[in-house]
Amino acid sequence: MLGCARLAALQQLEYRFNLLADTMIQPFVVGLVEITLWMAFFASSGQAELAGFGREYYLSYALWAAFISRVSTSWMYESLMIQDIELGTVNSVLVRPISFFEYYLGQLMGYKVLTTAISLMAPITLCLFLDLPVSLSRLPLALALTFYYLILVHVISMIIASLGFFFTRIHHLTVAKNITLWMLTGEFFPLDIAPEPFKSILTALPFSSAVFRPVGYLTERLPVSTIYEGFLSVTIGLLVLGPVAALLWNAGRRRYSGTGA
Amino acid sequence: MINIETENLTRTYETYRKPEGLLKSIQGLWARKVEQKVAVHPTTLSIAKGEIVGLVGSNGAGKTTLLKLLSGLIHPSGGSAKVLGYAPTSRDPEFLKRISILLGQKNQLWWDLPPADSYDLLARIYEINPIEARSRVRELAELLQCSEQLHVQLRRLSLGERMKMEIIGALLHQPEVLFLDEPTIGLDIIAQTTIREFLATYVKERKPTLILTSHYMDDISLLADRLLLISQGSIVYDGSVEEFVAKAENRQTLSLKLLNPPTTDVSIAGHFQLEAGTRNIKVELAANVIGDVLQALMSLSPVQEIKIEEVEFEDVIHSFMQQDARMRASSSAPAARV
Repeated sequence: MLGCARLAALQQLEYRFNLLADTMIQPFVVGLVEITLWMAFFASSGQAELAGFGREYYLSYALWAAFISRVSTSWMYESLMIQDIELGTVNSVLVRPISFFEYYLGQLMGYKVLTTAISLMAPITLCLFLDLPVSLSRLPLALALTFYYLILVHVISMIIASLGFFFTRIHHLTVAKNITLWMLTGEFFPLDIAPEPFKSILTALPFSSAVFRPVGYLTERLPVSTIYEGFLSVTIGLLVLGPVAALLWNAGRRRYSGTGA
Repeated sequence: MINIETENLTRTYETYRKPEGLLKSIQGLWARKVEQKVAVHPTTLSIAKGEIVGLVGSNGAGKTTLLKLLSGLIHPSGGSAKVLGYAPTSRDPEFLKRISILLGQKNQLWWDLPPADSYDLLARIYEINPIEARSRVRELAELLQCSEQLHVQLRRLSLGERMKMEIIGALLHQPEVLFLDEPTIGLDIIAQTTIREFLATYVKERKPTLILTSHYMDDISLLADRLLLISQGSIVYDGSVEEFVAKAENRQTLSLKLLNPPTTDVSIAGHFQLEAGTRNIKVELAANVIGDVLQALMSLSPVQEIKIEEVEFEDVIHSFMQQDARMRASSSAPAARV
């Protein structure tokens, strides 16, 4: 799997401008957009606080949520997995002694480690520049949960990609899934400001470990126990969705016709 | 020792036929007529260790499907296969380390990277010592005359150079069983020759079990010691290349030029009809009737030029396949074996 992680890094480093846009330009732009939105919200509402937290806190949350959510999503690799099955390029993985799951998980992790390491500069710079509250000593544990959550993301990608064996073209399912996850992860807003019973449901789901838990912990809104609960909740998610992914993959493989080659 | 064996191995594909037009496309949202297409009819085969098998057939005959079944890429609809004692669909890592499949129309190396980086990853996947892997790459690249391109991104290489790199990637782990699907397709004559000669040397030295498909009969006649002809999913000939050519009649091509073309249509010794005014003649005939035909033509007119050639292996295959297709079209019964 380390070889696949290295492969992803090599591929990213091959295209310098694309890497620059991905790791520098995008995080700055997204961070600024999120901050502007929350600034506009506080300016127009005339409120100084929301659910017990001040304007600066929400700006910091928005900034880090934008950053962490980029880490905890997998548009690119999920699309590649779907495309591999649709076009038959999955053959080059199937004939080698490596699993499709491991091959793409390795690449996903390699890509995320490289891009996260570089693009961390964006939220840290903006936080210091705007003097926003953040506890950087909490960053390693917050990122650890985010990367653990990525395994669950990859399992979901396996489920969606496996559906490609049955329906051939399923790219729009990825879009629908990601829009749903945006709601569930806490990227739009801290999940604990949602009304009950949504608050309890949303925070109990493993998807809260994508953004809400790590960012809440990083910005000192949540205690460390929420991170541990996040690990537990993701583990349960893996135990539930892992067998579904394996089942669909095996069923799909039996139908596969080795398209296009 | 048998390396590959199949028993009634079958593969059926499910397709649906879509009538043209927008309305029919809308109807297709809820009603699709699914059809079953047999790509490989029940096939029983056994291939010994070290045997080089040429698998020949027209487009859509089932060659690639058979290779995909044997390499475990696709599951059979019926029957069974064993390669090196493994069921290919099990995807046992030990099995996958001992085989290789090269699909000539697909890139299996990484598009964005120089081949050297791809080989490095392959060495990790196949658990080959990195130093040993580099030495093998150097050796293979020298034989294929492509050492200069090892550090150029795959996307920047020509088709011929890419194919050479793909071959190195397929052979890096020294597979015992090798499936090569059209390794010379689309290449210029120089690249074809280089690859053909390389493969001839490689199989002679390493003695892998090899199944090779190709549209170029030179590939088959140079490399294969056994020929499998496949037509519409069925094996219609299984024997040696020499036997095939001998059994499919000893045919020759007669080319000549008449000084005085006939003024009316004439039957030439009952073997073919010569139209009035024809001066240049080129016909393919059984060797034992050439004398009668020549005699008949020379009695008709003095002959200016004359040439008698052996029919190429490719032409024999071509006419056999045409004959088989005609037989299948006129009857649903299986084609006669040569």
